[in-house]
Amino acid sequence: MAEYIKLIDVTKCTGCRGCQVACKQWNSLPAEKTIFSGSLQNPKDLTYNTWTLIRYDEVVKDGKLHWVMRHDACMHCDWPACAKACPSPGALVKTPEGAVVHNPQYCIGCKACIAACPFDIPRNNPELEKMAKCTLCYDRITEGKQPACVTACPTGCLTFGLKEDMLEKAHKRAEAVGGTIYPSNPKYETHVMYILPAGVSPKDLQHTNPNPSMPLSVLLWKNLFKPFTLIGMGAVIGGAFLHYLIKGPHEVHETKEGGE
Amino acid sequence: MSAHDTKVYVTDVEERLVHWILAASCLFCVLTGVGLMFHSWSIIPTLLGGYYATKLMHIYSGVVFAGMLVYSYYLWRKDCGFEESDLDWVLKAGGYLWPVKELPPVYKYNAGQKAFFWCLIVTGVVIVVTGLFMWLWNPASVPNVLARIMYMLHAGAVVVLAAFIMIHIYLGTAGNPGTVSAMITGYVTKAWCKTHCPRWYQEKFEKDAQA
Ligand code: SF4
Ligand code: SF4
Ligand code: SF4
Repeated sequence: MAEYIKLIDVTKCTGCRGCQVACKQWNSLPAEKTIFSGSLQNPKDLTYNTWTLIRYDEVVKDGKLHWVMRHDACMHCDWPACAKACPSPGALVKTPEGAVVHNPQYCIGCKACIAACPFDIPRNNPELEKMAKCTLCYDRITEGKQPACVTACPTGCLTFGLKEDMLEKAHKRAEAVGGTIYPSNPKYETHVMYILPAGVSPKDLQHTNPNPSMPLSVLLWKNLFKPFTLIGMGAVIGGAFLHYLIKGPHEVHETKEGGE
Repeated sequence: MSAHDTKVYVTDVEERLVHWILAASCLFCVLTGVGLMFHSWSIIPTLLGGYYATKLMHIYSGVVFAGMLVYSYYLWRKDCGFEESDLDWVLKAGGYLWPVKELPPVYKYNAGQKAFFWCLIVTGVVIVVTGLFMWLWNPASVPNVLARIMYMLHAGAVVVLAAFIMIHIYLGTAGNPGTVSAMITGYVTKAWCKTHCPRWYQEKFEKDAQA
């Protein structure tokens, strides 16, 4: 099965927020009451009903001002921390296409994925006790369509295609604009990539993870403590058997009865 | 003394009830926790009515565990206070592993039992606090870099406690014949009591008898 990548060329974003609306429309997500906070960014953050939004940063570097408008949504990690943390089979599934899809039917609202995600993407609905996030429009891409946000994007900032093609395109474009590719940890690949404008690094922007990786705590939890719960109990049971056979039980000294 | 001529009453009803409610809630938490953590053990959530139901049972059983943990602390903390001779007991591994000439005479609980009690209290508190956090935290106000440490600690403390519980079960049953009745009827034989809690026996029963 072919793998896909959604490429976000931040240099081309005009902040029209067509993607934000298209995502709501395709996924039947209700609008939210928000408060004007003096920024183009609205609402302020991702929510259970807002799976993507344009984050707006003003970056001043070397006396130059950059207006950075960044489409923020799930990164569709190749080795998703969220799915690793999830206790309920089927609630978070990494698909062969590279999309990491949540399935509310199986979600038990334990919030483990929210804690685990290195990009702080999943959001909880406390009333329903379900998490929600971008699905990379899995219901569209498996039908040969582009994600809704990509379809809506008028400037070519958002594009979607086969992994190899998009990687090549990303490198060419980054070179052409003198920008960088984010994220760039070869050990923690994602199916969403950014081209950041020249002079702008992920550190300058809100809600980024400049060096994303599988969190150490998630690794300890799932790769060490989890197996050792059973290994530890099993080892003691085995040890107890051996002790019983070799050393034998600790009998009471009947001889002491009545003595002393 | 009671009608049981050869027996002595060592565990009262309150202690036995607390012990068993604590044990039941704890083992049920282990069972549901394993069911939630290992997809290969999905039989547990399936039998219990699904993953969501299992989550709720894990939480409510955890609440019972938390209550009993606090109760246990007040019930046994004095009897489980360490004393100097406990070090000697530990250095001799309580006579469980290699032949030992003589063990320091134990009062009510030996150093191993005391260690188990304090391990239960410490890991139990970690498990309860992180568990409450996992249940109630609001992702809008707690950074998830902090939250994930709570999930990790919850699982980490369980590794220690679950293994120690298995030791406790073995030593309380097959490993020490005659022990388990202390937690069931409350009675043990005099011989048992003299063997396992000589100092306590002396103080509690022989002094009484003399008086
Ligand atoms: S960005 Fe977070 S929610 Fe999305 S796939 Fe990666 S770990 Fe999961
Ligand atoms: S909140 Fe839902 S999707 Fe997230 S880890 Fe828990 S069960 Fe899985
Ligand atoms: S890929 Fe689909 S679900 Fe994800 S942000 Fe775009 S429109 Fe929303």
